[in-house]
Amino acid sequence: MREWHDVASLEHVIRDGRAIVRVGGREIGVLVDPSDGSLKALRNRCPHVGSPLCRGTLRTRESGTPGAYSLEEGKVLRCPHHGWEFDLVSGVCLDDPGMRVAVYEVKVLGGRVHVLA
Amino acid sequence: MIDCDIHHVIADQADFLSYMDPAQREWFQTRGDLGLPGYPWSHPFGFANDEGLLEPGYAPGALERISREALDAYGADVGILHANDASTVSLMASPYRAAAFARAHNDWVREQWLDGEPRLRGSILCPAQDPLAAAREIQRAAATDDRFVEVLLCAGSERPYGEPRYLPIFEAAAECGLQVAIHTSGEGMGIAAPGGGAGAHTFYIEWHTVGSATSVMSHLVSLICNGIFERLPTLKVMLLEGGVAWLPGLLWRLDTNWRGLRAEVPWLERRPSEIMRDHVRFSTQPLEHTDGHDSLLFEMLEAAGAPDILCFASDYPHWDWDDPKFVINRLPKAWRAKVMHENAAAFYGDKLGLVTA
Repeated sequence: MREWHDVASLEHVIRDGRAIVRVGGREIGVLVDPSDGSLKALRNRCPHVGSPLCRGTLRTRESGTPGAYSLEEGKVLRCPHHGWEFDLVSGVCLDDPGMRVAVYEVKVLGGRVHVLA
Repeated sequence: MIDCDIHHVIADQADFLSYMDPAQREWFQTRGDLGLPGYPWSHPFGFANDEGLLEPGYAPGALERISREALDAYGADVGILHANDASTVSLMASPYRAAAFARAHNDWVREQWLDGEPRLRGSILCPAQDPLAAAREIQRAAATDDRFVEVLLCAGSERPYGEPRYLPIFEAAAECGLQVAIHTSGEGMGIAAPGGGAGAHTFYIEWHTVGSATSVMSHLVSLICNGIFERLPTLKVMLLEGGVAWLPGLLWRLDTNWRGLRAEVPWLERRPSEIMRDHVRFSTQPLEHTDGHDSLLFEMLEAAGAPDILCFASDYPHWDWDDPKFVINRLPKAWRAKVMHENAAAFYGDKLGLVTA
């Protein structure tokens, strides 16, 4: 049964760009998406080998045609250990769509960040 | 049955040189080995299987012997003819001499080999060290005869063939409806990079174990990473004589690296192994001996896409050739028709000119 959890102050998350919080037995990362300032929450455990995914870099993913580089819209989360990249909304691993990290709804109430987990 | 790798040799240099540009003929006449580069090591008892094959009296790989020993003996429908030493033309220091050699060789193949044996199909040599000249020669030779079914590149090279400098070669092949064969040979010869990746080998046994395989691996990975198959969706490549037992491991490494390092090659939208399955085929010869672990080998190869990715090749008349009967018996029953015939027929398509029942 999912329920809302008060996990961090909004000020803290905005100041650091992210917060790693614990809800029950799980670590969850709350991240500020630099593309629009929205908050995203994902489990801090890469489904590849369990690395602390939410310590990774939020970055713009490359695309292109052979020999020509371009950039995609929006930001993705790159795992700090092996570099696999994840969609912030769906949690799907963009480099191995068979893999997915849990994502959580986020809301802000009275300066506090809540996640539905 | 289709044999994807039969070698012929230049037994009569004077005959061959009659096809040469007269203004360059003397230069070639006065070189040993027709100006082709040589290996720094040599096979201890001879590259060609002169002693083991049926009838003495002909130069190894001479047309009559190929007809009898490689085609008649095993009921082959078609054999793809590949140059022997001459495949290293692309490693000659002079691209101008190489262009003249390739041109003469293609004309000689057409008249002396394809005209003499209807079951043979030809491969086009080109001066790959000068890719624009190579593209011109591919277009010229392809226009002379429909029995040329592919471009032959030796796996010894200055850089791996996915490098954009080589693109004109692949574009010309694709335009002419030809596939490209990359055949182990020439690593460390002439202007080629040393084989193996750790400096020059000491022995032939080292080259035959390492250098002849790692060049093929490098070309495979380079072609995929540089997006050649995204650029040329109809292009197919056959990798010959580099072995296959290493393939599953290489693909697992490549797919894993692609997941983490994709930013370097963001034009690859599919796993490299999937691109390989759609565009690349491998000759069976030399099918690794497994010391009793054949079932393990075939299970591994299945993970890499076998049997669809394998095409039979004998490598006649070389010392390490694979007897078709031996290969058939080793292959799983369900693989035999595909590997011995169907995969190659699909790879070459209508170019093969096979009459289908």
